[in-house]
Amino acid sequence: MTSLVGRPVARVDGRAKVTGAARYPADNPVPGALHGFLVTSEVTKGEVTDIDTSAALAHPGVVAVLTHRDMPRLTVPPFPYLKGFIPMQDTVIHHAGQPVAIVVAHTVEQAHGAATLVAVRYRAERPRAVIDDAAESPYLPPPFRDRRNEFQRGDAAAAWAQAEICVEARCSSATRHHNPIEPHATTAQWDGDRLTLHETAQGVNLTKGVIAAVFALQTENVRVVAPYLGGGFGAKGPVWSHTIINAAAARILRRPVRLVLSRAQMYTMAGHRSEFRQHIRLGATRAGKLTALLTTTTAQLSNTDESIFNTCESARFLYDCPNLHIRQEGVRLDVATSSYMRSPETTAHFGLETALDELSWALDMDPLELRRRNHTEFNQETGQRFGSKHLLQCYDLASRAFGWSQRKRRPGATKDGDEYVGWGMATEMHTFAAMPSTASVTVGLDGKAVLRVATQDIGTGTYTIVSQIVADAMGVPLDAVQAHIGDTALPVAGVSAASATIASVCGSVDRAARAARDAVVRLAVADDRSPLFGVPSDEVETRHGHLIHTRNHERRDSYRAVVSRSGKPVEATGSVPNLPGLSYGVVFAEVRVHARLGSVRVTRVVTAHDIGRVMNRRTARGQVIGGVTWGIGHALMEHTVYDRNTGRVVNPNLSTYLVPVCADAPPALEALFVDEPDPGSTALGARGFGETPITGVPAAIGNAIYHATGRRVRDLPITQDKLL
Amino acid sequence: MRSFSYASARDSADAARMAGRTPGAAFIAGGTDLLNLMKDGVQHHPHLIDVNKLDLSRVTESASGLHIGGLARMRQVAEHHAVRARFPVLAEALLASASPQVRNMATIGGNLLQRTRCGYFRDTGSACNKRVPGSGCPALQGWNRGHAVLGTSDSCIATHPSDLAVALTALDATVHVLGPAGARRIPVGEFYRLPGDTPQIETSLRPAELITAVEVPRYPAASRSRYLKVRDRATFEFAVVSVAAALHLRGHFVRDIRLAFGGIATKPWRSAEAEAELRGKNLTVQRVEQAGRVLVRAAVPRQDNAFKVELVQRALVELVLDLGGLR
Repeated sequence: MTSLVGRPVARVDGRAKVTGAARYPADNPVPGALHGFLVTSEVTKGEVTDIDTSAALAHPGVVAVLTHRDMPRLTVPPFPYLKGFIPMQDTVIHHAGQPVAIVVAHTVEQAHGAATLVAVRYRAERPRAVIDDAAESPYLPPPFRDRRNEFQRGDAAAAWAQAEICVEARCSSATRHHNPIEPHATTAQWDGDRLTLHETAQGVNLTKGVIAAVFALQTENVRVVAPYLGGGFGAKGPVWSHTIINAAAARILRRPVRLVLSRAQMYTMAGHRSEFRQHIRLGATRAGKLTALLTTTTAQLSNTDESIFNTCESARFLYDCPNLHIRQEGVRLDVATSSYMRSPETTAHFGLETALDELSWALDMDPLELRRRNHTEFNQETGQRFGSKHLLQCYDLASRAFGWSQRKRRPGATKDGDEYVGWGMATEMHTFAAMPSTASVTVGLDGKAVLRVATQDIGTGTYTIVSQIVADAMGVPLDAVQAHIGDTALPVAGVSAASATIASVCGSVDRAARAARDAVVRLAVADDRSPLFGVPSDEVETRHGHLIHTRNHERRDSYRAVVSRSGKPVEATGSVPNLPGLSYGVVFAEVRVHARLGSVRVTRVVTAHDIGRVMNRRTARGQVIGGVTWGIGHALMEHTVYDRNTGRVVNPNLSTYLVPVCADAPPALEALFVDEPDPGSTALGARGFGETPITGVPAAIGNAIYHATGRRVRDLPITQDKLL
Repeated sequence: MRSFSYASARDSADAARMAGRTPGAAFIAGGTDLLNLMKDGVQHHPHLIDVNKLDLSRVTESASGLHIGGLARMRQVAEHHAVRARFPVLAEALLASASPQVRNMATIGGNLLQRTRCGYFRDTGSACNKRVPGSGCPALQGWNRGHAVLGTSDSCIATHPSDLAVALTALDATVHVLGPAGARRIPVGEFYRLPGDTPQIETSLRPAELITAVEVPRYPAASRSRYLKVRDRATFEFAVVSVAAALHLRGHFVRDIRLAFGGIATKPWRSAEAEAELRGKNLTVQRVEQAGRVLVRAAVPRQDNAFKVELVQRALVELVLDLGGLR
């Protein structure tokens, strides 16, 4: 039977999604549920002095208006709760948009209407929201969990001082928000001390642990359900305070309560990518060999948490450089807490890949050749050889497809009509996480397989890939497999963040499916009613739902016949601890810049990636399209604006926070893959990939703009006013 | 969003009567802007009067010009053969607006009355003289990349967002309205008001008046007209700067020219001075550049929007030279 794994199989949940049959967390009907809506702080720093709820309480349909006076005292939970405090426990305001009250009513409309009637008075202080306005100098925060913020190798300062060629750059990027189309939604349903949450969660088990800690519940008494997600990009990885406040309200009112964040609330309550500054220095020999890499970054931190996500990971691992010094600093500001956003490392990687491009011009060397000369097969920190790294092959594949050898060596050398044409490239890299997981497969009396595993589909194709794996492992058609995911009632699996889904579940799903297959084969060969009775188990192969004697194809049985004769379903489980790793690639981009108006179009992109075994060519390509498109947004338009006087986000909606639209996506995009199974993989040769294909895109575009125009822009986004 | 009542009007007179009866009532047609404003708490209306059943959606052409019903949909006008053939700047401005979905819903009257996209206006947690008169204008010292450099006051620097209005301003259109006191016609140049001390008053519409039609006169320049919109993404975005130009040439001699601008001013901006630099003279690169300098002579740039002063001049040169066949 031809393997399904690797083929461009269409999404098994595609039809359900486009017809509306797929039930997202806020769609799931919960009988008797009330509707909550949050009232949020208008001021950015200060405290609540008075809340008058009388007008809101008089609004038709309103059941309750709860404030800090009504909330139970709750425990601030550890990671992945990032906020550092729980709102509505006291009167202190840490950021604009912080929840100060929750209105609960019979309908959504009533709750929204009454929320406008809650009168809050504040004592306000002057806030500071952006790095330029910070009161104090940047500082080096303590390690975030076990992750340090300073790294040193060799003597970087001395190597820089002695380097034959030096490049120094200062880069910046604006605050960004995730903007999943589905806003965060939560429904809390209590049954005594048992809590069920219908939650937009990228990690149902992570959420379960956090919520149990907040409410001091036994973890087995919390169930979190998230069968589908309308995008996450990291925003739905942590647990945020609205989930806690809503669950507390439901407990007080003894009724299920549903809460959906408004689009504007998504800009203050569910994390963001920090505003970011980077100072980077590269030293090299005249032959283009890196000798020194020094970088200091500054991230915009909140006053209640000091986790840094926009790390310099690629500077540590990607290139061969004996002397390194990284400092990841932060400044504390009156903003909501930041979090991880599809790939957090993109921000600092822009600085590295931009500086390398500048180095290539300083050396008069092809930027691709510069990267080849600094390629390494060894982990720069451990000295160990990477088990499987085909980055050089990616360079070859993509540069050939792009036609890179035809590149002109001078900036501004190509003009087509009113536009300058430029080419740029950048290496891509991302480490993926992996968590232990357990999966179960049950073969029913109908011969069909039901897979159960508490992973998530954040839009990346999890349902499809796990179904492909089960179908292949058992030798059944794809439509004989049904996958149940996104529920803590299922066998435990990890979070769908840090590109971890594939690396965390493929192995256990495969093992469970093979164990189920083997169990059915054993039943058949032991059953004197089976044509396979007495055949050694290892002489039975499975194809198209049938069990077939390898030496005599006339002797065959089927899953359906075997299991239905036995009278009870066959169930098996599989568990794998799993290992993290790295995925690599390269992106080449062509831009066109209007000679007089400065507007930029990205017209052609070619990528090649080494992601181990490609599980599904269609969904993998989907990740590339998404990464490239979002990278275009990152490079050219996306930015969250804080008013420097009030600290409020001024563009908290999709009308003024611009994300790319279809017309911004490149008309030509080619996504190539090396497709060599990684022998070190615990996931059938595959590696995590979700975040890799955005990492180099902003730098490739910035480098292409330089090639087109001779203008180097180091501050993202590169809006056209910077190119006039 | 606060609750509201709703009724559907049978005809124009019925709509005007209903509006006259209920203070604070608003007409709703496509609802593509009004509903967002209400959901975001920027506007509250106790009563909505649905005017979609009114017989005001026809587009007709006569010897004197174009008559566009106030309820004609943006898409319908943009696709109309007479508009495309003889008033291309209108079709281009419409097609450069919003998205296909929005253009299917939104009407011409509603388009002319859409509110500014200023972030402070749309955020009820911010001060805004347009939304809450007297509360202040944070854009003056705050984020003003999208804001106006012409026609501003100390009370307001918000731009008018409509592309269509810019094109109609270039073509000297007339707005027909009907209200409790009867019908009247307002030249588009007098329809929009500068903010002055009363930025909350944006048009010369009186309470309960409804836009019933827009009339565009026929003249030679209209058929050689174009709209150039510069924006921060490829589509579905408001103008950073825009230019509507209509040109009547004989050889290189400019018999007539009409220029209007979007994205740079508090209302659709016609510049008679810039036109005067070109009308009755031979079209040259230098004269168009001089027209651009004249256009921005009174500009008041601020921290984030100063680039518009340069960009709008470049856009003007770009468009007029293209239109005049000099490129």
